[in-house]
Amino acid sequence: MKDKKTIRVACVGNPNCGKTTLFNALTGSRLKVANWPGVTVEKIEGQTSYEGYEIALLDTPGIYSLTCYTIEEKVTRQCVMDDDIDVILNIVDASSLERNLYLTLQLLELGKPVVLALNMMDIVKERGMEIDLHRLPEMLGDIPVVPVSAAKRTGLDILLHAVLHHYEEKKNAEYILQYPEEIENKIAKLEVMMQAHYPTHSSVRWHAIKLLEDDEEVKNEHPIQVSNVVDKSYEKEIISCKYAYIESVVKEVLFHKSRKAATTDKADRLLTHEWLGLPVFLCIMGLVFFLTFTIGDALKGVFESALELFSGWAGELLAGIGAADWLVSLIVDGIITGVGGILTFLPNIFILFLALAILEDSGYMSRVAYVMDSIMGKVGLSGKAFLPMILGFGCTVPAIMATRALETEQDRKKTMIITPFMSCSARLPIYVIFSEMFFPDCAGLVAFSFYMIGMAVAIITALVTSRIRKERTNNSLLIELPEYKRPNVRTVGIYVWNKLKDYLTKAGTTIFIASIVIWFVLNFGIRGMVDNPADSFGAMIGRLLVPLLAPAGLGMWQIAVALISGISAKEVVVSSFSVLFGVSNTNSAAGMASIVANVQAQNPAFGPLNAYCLMLFCLLYIPCVAAVATIRKESGSWKFTGRLMAFQVLLAWLAAVAVFQIGSLFLS
Amino acid sequence: MTLYEAQKNQEYTIEGLFVEEAVTRRLQALGLNDGTRVKVLNKKKRGALIIQVRGTRLALGRHLSSNIEIREERHEG
Repeated sequence: MKDKKTIRVACVGNPNCGKTTLFNALTGSRLKVANWPGVTVEKIEGQTSYEGYEIALLDTPGIYSLTCYTIEEKVTRQCVMDDDIDVILNIVDASSLERNLYLTLQLLELGKPVVLALNMMDIVKERGMEIDLHRLPEMLGDIPVVPVSAAKRTGLDILLHAVLHHYEEKKNAEYILQYPEEIENKIAKLEVMMQAHYPTHSSVRWHAIKLLEDDEEVKNEHPIQVSNVVDKSYEKEIISCKYAYIESVVKEVLFHKSRKAATTDKADRLLTHEWLGLPVFLCIMGLVFFLTFTIGDALKGVFESALELFSGWAGELLAGIGAADWLVSLIVDGIITGVGGILTFLPNIFILFLALAILEDSGYMSRVAYVMDSIMGKVGLSGKAFLPMILGFGCTVPAIMATRALETEQDRKKTMIITPFMSCSARLPIYVIFSEMFFPDCAGLVAFSFYMIGMAVAIITALVTSRIRKERTNNSLLIELPEYKRPNVRTVGIYVWNKLKDYLTKAGTTIFIASIVIWFVLNFGIRGMVDNPADSFGAMIGRLLVPLLAPAGLGMWQIAVALISGISAKEVVVSSFSVLFGVSNTNSAAGMASIVANVQAQNPAFGPLNAYCLMLFCLLYIPCVAAVATIRKESGSWKFTGRLMAFQVLLAWLAAVAVFQIGSLFLS
Repeated sequence: MTLYEAQKNQEYTIEGLFVEEAVTRRLQALGLNDGTRVKVLNKKKRGALIIQVRGTRLALGRHLSSNIEIREERHEG
């Protein structure tokens, strides 16, 4: 029996060329991670097998060039330069051949086997364009060129076959592009020097060209004395030559170029309109949250009844088998109450992520960067910084990672400071619960107000930081606007499924553990198990913070406990409320009524104003542990992270105190 | 003139990029180089604009557009 051979294939391509869609289609359900569509920031690995080979596929962040100016470019470059990589699979958006081939030419210069997947051929046909599939490979040095549609999953077998065939032939790419004589002479000289210094080096020509382009990383990695050959940077000439060659290729292989359908232009006339662009965007986001709350609520009933049934059934079962009282209490009051309460929000979370995924996959998100550019420019950021902020509506962790797409370190840090103020999906349960409990007539509006407050705080914070630092604002937005397309069911599905899985995992791990810990600190005191939670450890800790929280209208030890535990994950604020007030089904009308009754039994003055301050505090104070860890990792600085956390707590406290004190004046 | 002063729906030829080194290289990688033809698709007053270049659309902020020199494309025929 023959052992399965493994080959490693790197998928490389421009942003928005459908790389991740193709990667998903090829690797299928064995995919390890699905990232936010279009915002692949780390390399991701997947597996597939074909004709007796195990194929390890690496998905890399989308790049335009093999230079090393952005983090994405560095990650991708490192990945393709790795000697492990047997074949480079270059995914090209056939509908914008001219720009995509620039990367292709650079990949060919590496000298590794390259297979070209010509994606989006269906769009090319729709637009009435034609591509000469015989002439194109000829002009690219006879590399395999395979037309595929990642979205419709056609051409995939042929593509894998081409990859294997090309690998078995061991035929490396030919250097099809000849530079002017002056440059070619220099390349030749540098190649000789490179070979003398690094005899085992595999992509000598590429390195020689990069040395001519004065590439910092190449110079540092393979230092050789070249000043006698490289008298200046030839980068501009080299780029011009590549584009000139591409123009000649496009002229020969692309037909009916002018017949491009103008659907995107028509849509852009409204969506990026000078005046209407912003209101349209706000309406779209309003609709997203409206759907999240209404449809989510409609589906919620099912979950609630199931939870109620389950809780009752578990209690009876445990009592039936004669379990100790404390164990019944731990399972029913602690775990089922804490975790189950969170699970009832699954429909809301589902709708929210579905909407965000559809917006992103349709190509609208980059327009938002353009639409928001003027406003963001006023606070010293480019419109592009708004994209991580929108991701923040889903979850702060990927949002912080997405700041990598920003050009400068300064912009990244600033965006990291303000992104946690965008209400993530974990804060949604808090808004839903407390709005419905204390503002039954206008719950949706109250919840929505926190999304608006969050955005406003983010923008004001950015404004203040840039004023303090007296930065010169460089409005240097630079972003590609892809064609609009119908969102791909598979891409959206994989994305939403992964988010739901994350949510369930969180419920099963962080929230599960937090619920047990909370149950413990509330049921045990110095003298062992206590009947009255007011004698518990939790109450002791909570009471220490009461004087601090009192000016914000939050002077109850239960709230202090809930807020502290909420740092593990924001949903835990809700689950600890359920545990604290002994209500198993927080998210139902009866459950809510009993929480209100219990809260007011402890503190009769606790009314809508207090609840509003509580939600405001939850919006602004420290995001969850996972987000803090991500900020630490991405900023590389504990000092920055620590200061940011201190700022968030202080701001949350000040805002809640201000609202409570001013509000009390008006209400009394 | 600079791209910032360009008119909507007009075609231009790029004469020079006068922005930071790193940004210049990014623009070049995106296909914007001396002699490249661009068309202005959309424009905001005192703000960003959308151009068409090499079959793709790019949104450029004010800082970039006001540092890209262009020449008006003469209409032939």
